[in-house]
Amino acid sequence: MSETILEIKHLSKNFGNHEVLKDIDFTVNKGDVTTVIGASGSGKSTLLRCINLLEIPTSGSIIFHGQDVTGRGIKPSVYRSKVGMVFQSFNLFSNMTVLKNCMIGQIKVLKRSPADAHRNAMKYLDKVGMSEYIKALPRQLSGGQKQRVAIARALAMEPEVLLFDEPTSALDPEMVGEVLDVMDKLAHEGTTMIVVTHEMAFARDVSNHVVYMNSGVICEHGTPGEIFGHPQKKETQDFLSRFRKG
Amino acid sequence: MNVFSKLGSDMVALWAKYGSVYLGGIGRTLGLAIIATFIGCLIGFLCGILTTIPCAKTDNAVKKFFLGLLRVIIRIYVEVFRGTPMILQAVFIFYGLPYFTSNAFKFTNLWAVAITVVSVNTGAYMAESVRGGIISVDPGQNEGAMAIGMTHWQTMINVILPQAFRNIIPQIGNNYIINVKDTSVMFIIGFSDFFAVHKGVAGATYLYFPSATIEMVGYLTLTLVASFLLRLLEKKIEGKSNYELVQKDALTPTAGNYTLKDKPKNPNKDEEGLK
Ligand SMILES: Nc1ncnc2c1ncn2[C@@H]1O[C@H](COP(=O)(O)OP(=O)(O)OP(=O)(O)O)[C@@H](O)[C@H]1O
Ligand SMILES: [Mg+2]
Repeated sequence: MSETILEIKHLSKNFGNHEVLKDIDFTVNKGDVTTVIGASGSGKSTLLRCINLLEIPTSGSIIFHGQDVTGRGIKPSVYRSKVGMVFQSFNLFSNMTVLKNCMIGQIKVLKRSPADAHRNAMKYLDKVGMSEYIKALPRQLSGGQKQRVAIARALAMEPEVLLFDEPTSALDPEMVGEVLDVMDKLAHEGTTMIVVTHEMAFARDVSNHVVYMNSGVICEHGTPGEIFGHPQKKETQDFLSRFRKG
Repeated sequence: MNVFSKLGSDMVALWAKYGSVYLGGIGRTLGLAIIATFIGCLIGFLCGILTTIPCAKTDNAVKKFFLGLLRVIIRIYVEVFRGTPMILQAVFIFYGLPYFTSNAFKFTNLWAVAITVVSVNTGAYMAESVRGGIISVDPGQNEGAMAIGMTHWQTMINVILPQAFRNIIPQIGNNYIINVKDTSVMFIIGFSDFFAVHKGVAGATYLYFPSATIEMVGYLTLTLVASFLLRLLEKKIEGKSNYELVQKDALTPTAGNYTLKDKPKNPNKDEEGLK
């Protein structure tokens, strides 16, 4: 059994009196690739945003290496630097070049020297196939290229877990592949990831743990074989059948 | 003689005699406008930054109280100085201050009064512009920065303010142009700007329109040059419209070349696979 990185316990989130997440429990071990699937509005993004403390959970705890990060013991910014996040809308800094985007966090947050930050940024830009574009500004790139830079920016912080919120949903179909290729490569290298996605083939073939969410609760979870092969719950079967029909 | 050639020759004659006086006036107007716009922008940025400090429900009561107080004070400042004429503000500061404090507070330097009044005015307008500029930066930029662990201030300085600054350059230009023209109200305290020179010269020579024409040309020059320089600055901040690819070692494999084994390139279209 490998080391546990994250434990989500009884996590709930309300927006006003709207209960968006109810009593969520799950564990992420080192090297796990967890995919979160579910209908629109089921709370997948909110779950990821809570895990990264972009939203403050209403109750429950998020245990990172044994420490509850919803408490006062750890600064949210320190915790976030160890948990990377890749957004649907990229969120690259539009006033910086590709290279600067990948260096700024290392320099300001991790206090690395510019030379180290540069070397490290190049390493990850190379990994996502974007090292030729270091001088470009985000607006000069295609969606797929932007997302690959965003992945490199997150990787350059060398986080312990990488969260992806529908990283390919804003992309034209022909660019989806290049981003999934990068994610697949990261999964094979043992990167711990939590991926919210509508790409069922990715969930089935790349992840080792699938979480199916339905109106704010984890309806069913298990290995891809269990969820895609023998879904137990009626909701899961209905949800997956919609994808089969295409 | 044609009126226009008469106008021209009168202007030449006026310039020959009073050229240096006009230039002195231009210098004072330009100096006041630039200094006050600059200080006004600093005040505006300070107010804009202070009013956008996030205040979460979970913050402690002391912090909430001070942030609230700060916002109220800035609000009052903005409303009072935007809502009253600059000429009256100058009167209150120059004549009112010594009157109400029985000469305990008194400005003796006209420049100090003029700079204070115009800066504080510009600051009141800029505070709102800067706040708007900060708010209008895509919230995703803030989330992107938070997600890599940057603090509010790191995000502000490195990500938000550079973009907000780019957004409000036109407002800075506007404020400068307004200041170039509106500093003329400082005659009320005896500050002799470019327009005051005109009143002096026209009074002495009765060449009213030739002098007014010189003024028009002078004011336009001050504003056009500034517009041009701000455009240049905007372009520079915008960055190059193209970029060079950086060639690297052709042997390094990249993710771009990497394809999933025994899987279709676009898994989304894979309908069979789920059965
Ligand atoms: N900031 C917010 N304030 C109020 N309600 C919110 C907020 N963010 C999300 N919600 C609500 O929470 C619910 C879950 O939203 P969420 O974005 O997590 O869904 P999702 O599963 O990610 O959907 P999608 O697949 O469309 O991205 C929705 O009903 C949404 O309206
Ligand atoms: Mg979502």
